[in-house]
Amino acid sequence: MKRSLFDKIWDAHVVDELPGGNALVFMDLVVAHEITTPPGAIAIEKEFDDELYEPDRIVAMIDHVAPAKDAATALQAQTVRTWAKRQGIRFHDIGNNGICHVLVPERGYVTPGMSVCCGDSHTCTLGALGAFALGIGTTAQAGAMLAGCLILQRPKVMRIEITGELPADATAKDLTLSVIATIGFRGGTGYVLEYTGSAVRALNMEQRMTLCNMAIEAGATTGIIAADATTAAYLAATPAAPAGWTALQADDDAEYAATVTIDGSAIRPVVSWGTNPGENAPVDGAVPADAPAESLAYMDLRPGQALRSIAIDQAFIGSCTNSRIGDLRAAAAVLRGQQVSVPTIITPGSQAVRRQAEREGLHDIFQDAGALWTHSSCGPCLGMSMGVLAAGTRCVSSSNRNFPGRMGDGGRVHLAAPAVVAASAILGRIASPSEITSREVVLA
Amino acid sequence: MTGTRHMIVEGTVLPIPRANIDTDQIIPAHYLTRIDADGMGEHLFEGMPDGADLLARHPGAAIIVTGENFGCGSSREHAAWALLGRGFRAVIAPSFARIFHENAYNNGVVPVILPQETVDALMSAQTIAIDVAGETLRADGAEPIAFALDPLRKQFVLGGGFLKYLHAKIPAVRAWEAAR
Ligand code: SF4
Repeated sequence: MKRSLFDKIWDAHVVDELPGGNALVFMDLVVAHEITTPPGAIAIEKEFDDELYEPDRIVAMIDHVAPAKDAATALQAQTVRTWAKRQGIRFHDIGNNGICHVLVPERGYVTPGMSVCCGDSHTCTLGALGAFALGIGTTAQAGAMLAGCLILQRPKVMRIEITGELPADATAKDLTLSVIATIGFRGGTGYVLEYTGSAVRALNMEQRMTLCNMAIEAGATTGIIAADATTAAYLAATPAAPAGWTALQADDDAEYAATVTIDGSAIRPVVSWGTNPGENAPVDGAVPADAPAESLAYMDLRPGQALRSIAIDQAFIGSCTNSRIGDLRAAAAVLRGQQVSVPTIITPGSQAVRRQAEREGLHDIFQDAGALWTHSSCGPCLGMSMGVLAAGTRCVSSSNRNFPGRMGDGGRVHLAAPAVVAASAILGRIASPSEITSREVVLA
Repeated sequence: MTGTRHMIVEGTVLPIPRANIDTDQIIPAHYLTRIDADGMGEHLFEGMPDGADLLARHPGAAIIVTGENFGCGSSREHAAWALLGRGFRAVIAPSFARIFHENAYNNGVVPVILPQETVDALMSAQTIAIDVAGETLRADGAEPIAFALDPLRKQFVLGGGFLKYLHAKIPAVRAWEAAR
């Protein structure tokens, strides 16, 4: 049988078939962070004498609230810290840490063909490396740490081909938001999204991570992109510089349960107007006439309203979607020599990204523009620390979720690419980066 | 991580006639600061614009009837813990998001999948009795409606034991890995 890339990785990891169409699937790596790991680690300690399948197959870090903001989050961090030390697990403590989905690939912990899981829904990000990577709950993660396996139903595979070339002003964020708008907010449910096509091949690794990061926002089990020379060059430059992996490819005439083709040259810079990531439209456009009343009531918008007329109260550049060095460079290109007009928080995805940005002087550009440049954390992305929204306020954000209350109870979130967030921060309303560039020309 | 398991789940209904209830609405992230599964129930649906109102209008409800894709978004198992902590034992919907679906099984929240029309009809039910082992339910004493649970995970929803089940697989996993 002709197989997809995903099929090949799956077949290579099935330990056993289980009743009801379930499979026992081996996990090469388990990623563990301080929010979802402690109850599982404690259960294993109490019920199974602290037994782990293989501590070397786990990597742990403090990322969501880094450093701890109060006694409770300090206990979460301390629980993971002492557990990792006791078990000899690779551990990235504050100062040497990063958002799990940024840190794990940048260190070279994931190679093509691997299976990876984490108690975190955006683990799909790692599919960019040609791995099968998925988010799971705390108990399932505990199972993977204890027995090396997950119990899974085999997902179907949807081939998503992005043809042509992205326009110069369109980014991987615009592409991933457009994919969700095309297949629907739950259109990927039960599927792995296998991204292919010339526009995907042309993306660098960071951009591929942005694309795969939001597969979960279409309900998909994960996203995946076949490894190629771009992947090999990226991995060779990581600290671990892993060798000995082979790049699996889909068979030429592999069969897919569904196929979607999207014209890459038609992708426009977009921004979300609603309460799920699929509810987005071109920045230069308007709230659709048929937008659901419920979404608009929460967002305090009306049908037909020009998106660029929407005033904002805060801007955020960060999160596992868009906080890598390329994202920060894109934001800096817009912010250079400008002033922000609303509180603007810029949070690098890892401490390594932070240090690289500072070597390039990006931190000066950001701070000269009046933005707050922070250390790495998930920060305001999930409304837990470092910039939680007040009720009724509106934030343009480079993160991945605009659900009601996501960045703070009653807060409103508009998702966009870093350059759009930067332009909006300057103008105090949703804005296109071209508005800043043209302003510069006028001033000159 | 282990709720009390029930062969029969019976109770009054909290209808939420909307799709895509995500886990940030079920339990906002700022409550995810514990190292155990406790204390979530009192904050259930605090991220939902009308959550407090819904709960106040259906005091003591034990079964949620809702739209497609319930539990989408964040992987947080706290969503299942918050439902249990507030006394909810089952959710009836046309579909569940994958991660929540597994979390529900592992914690004894019965995830019942039925067609949209059936779910729509159940929205107006007062009381529903679910025979978990028999995979049928009755709304307000009407004719039983059959549904299907995952034949493997059914044991976890009824009796817990997910980790014990996997623990018993370790020799087979090690043998597989050695032959890999
Ligand atoms: S940055 Fe946001 S979406 Fe990504 S892992 Fe952290 S909280 Fe989750």
